[in-house]
Amino acid sequence: MNAPVEATAVGKRFGQTWALRDCSMRVPAGKIAGLVGPNGAGKTTLLHLAAGLLTPSAGEIRVFGRSPMADLPLLLDRVGFVAQDTPLYSRFSVADMLHFARNMNRRWDRVAAEERIRRVGIPFEKRIGQLSGGQRSQVALALALGKHPELLLLDEPVARLDPLARREFMQRLTEAVAEEGSTVLLSSHVMGDLERVCDYLLIIAGGRVQVAGEIDTLLGSHHLLVGPRLKGEVRLNGAQVVKAEHTERQSSLWIRGAVPALGPGWREEKLPLEELVITYLSAPDAGTLPRPELQQAAS
Amino acid sequence: MTWVTWRQHRLEGLWALLLATLLGGLTAYVAYQISLASASCAAPRGQAYCLPGDAWGQIAQGLLQFNLSQYGLVVLPALAGAFIGAPLVAREIENGTQHLAWTQGVTRLRWLLAELFLVIVPVVVAAAVVGYLEVIFLNVQGSAVNRWDVFDQQTPVVPAATLLALALGVAFGALIGRSVPAMAATLVTFVVLRVGIAELARANYVAPLRFKTTELSQVGSPRGNPTAWWLGNPDFYDSAGHLFRNGPGGGAQPSYAIQYFQPGARFWAFQTIESAILAGLALLVLGFAVYWVTKRVT
Repeated sequence: MNAPVEATAVGKRFGQTWALRDCSMRVPAGKIAGLVGPNGAGKTTLLHLAAGLLTPSAGEIRVFGRSPMADLPLLLDRVGFVAQDTPLYSRFSVADMLHFARNMNRRWDRVAAEERIRRVGIPFEKRIGQLSGGQRSQVALALALGKHPELLLLDEPVARLDPLARREFMQRLTEAVAEEGSTVLLSSHVMGDLERVCDYLLIIAGGRVQVAGEIDTLLGSHHLLVGPRLKGEVRLNGAQVVKAEHTERQSSLWIRGAVPALGPGWREEKLPLEELVITYLSAPDAGTLPRPELQQAAS
Repeated sequence: MTWVTWRQHRLEGLWALLLATLLGGLTAYVAYQISLASASCAAPRGQAYCLPGDAWGQIAQGLLQFNLSQYGLVVLPALAGAFIGAPLVAREIENGTQHLAWTQGVTRLRWLLAELFLVIVPVVVAAAVVGYLEVIFLNVQGSAVNRWDVFDQQTPVVPAATLLALALGVAFGALIGRSVPAMAATLVTFVVLRVGIAELARANYVAPLRFKTTELSQVGSPRGNPTAWWLGNPDFYDSAGHLFRNGPGGGAQPSYAIQYFQPGARFWAFQTIESAILAGLALLVLGFAVYWVTKRVT
């Protein structure tokens, strides 16, 4: 079966600037994949390429094995997209927005979409412009889910929401995905948003994918070792040092691979996901490490 | 798509309908009043219109003084381009809603063609109706008015100009991506194109005819040919055939004058030619807008 999203050395250039470069990634079917990276890392560009809003300048992107530009009419029904800042027509009422989606989609489940809006308690007659940010994104989500997409692309859907609305949005998203069985690619620059809901992670920085893999596997294969100050070169059997930090009395090693036998004074600490991501983002060379998860997924 | 377009543009549509109805209604009203009186009196050219003496006639007289239809039929197409054409794509880009619209079940091309068709056709039809009411208004006045003087206010030129204004609006909106600058660009370009065509091209659609007379008292007035379009000023020649001076006046006596003109019989041919030019330009501009929206807008 074709992967929902698969990019091979894809690049996108705007004028002289490469927004995305040499990006290879694959989102496995049925996963909720988080696309995380700093602002300007190319997350939006990658999502727009997958949604057929942009044509790649280099390489290739495939959605369910098809080119999102050339075969767009075949993909539009299968892919749901929620753009950054959840754009909706602010002069429309909620009912108008539902009517809009019904008019614009061949595949449209009116009952399900209305039920989703009702469940979060948004009145149909209210204008989009009068909704709170949280309500707005719930409407956008309901519209995107209304066509029962096999792939749902969400570009920073919670970036502007308060923590409560974030939690609510993520909860609704997880519920919906569990019901529908869709694959989700969700971007964010806030790790905490993703940690709760995602089971697959793509870390992107400077237009390139740094790490890709199952979150559990990533966490299982990365460790933080803390011990007395090390002098000279650090050598570990079978593990790679992703990053090393030294204070006067203490050394911290972020390693990937099996935990070696620890010397006296050394201990292993649990590496939180956010820490892992920051580690990769702050160590640009880490991207040159082999990416076993990606290769495994691609085989 | 029909509902979506209607819901998005109903406000502009309402305004367009209101203004077109107002203008068309007033034109028709005045035409009707003139037609009531035309049996009883025939006002010579240049004099006050022949209108009934009652209050209704007075109202028509008052309306005539503002030349509403003359101004309206020139200004409204430009406004349609700026206020209906320019925001059509620009407003979507401004609000980011193109990313919503283009990721539904409809391709960008179909979305755009539906919007263009459903917005442009009614506006152009309305312009054609109002422009045709102006034609009736002129017909009712008979020989009291020279059609060439109000060339820009008659159908088919009015709907063709409206189409061009809308096309320019859509194209600038897509190109610039912001409504207000697109509106300004539309207005400026439309005015330059229309004035340019009217001033530089119109007189030469067909080679003008030559009028030669020795009766110099006739020169500078309509000279018994009230349906002609007289081009520029007459050239005066002395008896030896040398160009004497341009325009009447001065000391020496010219012996004959030559002036070029387009006869009234060519009027509708000229209307057709200019409409074809405007509509052709409009289609080119629309083609560019479709290309730009489908290939270049992000």
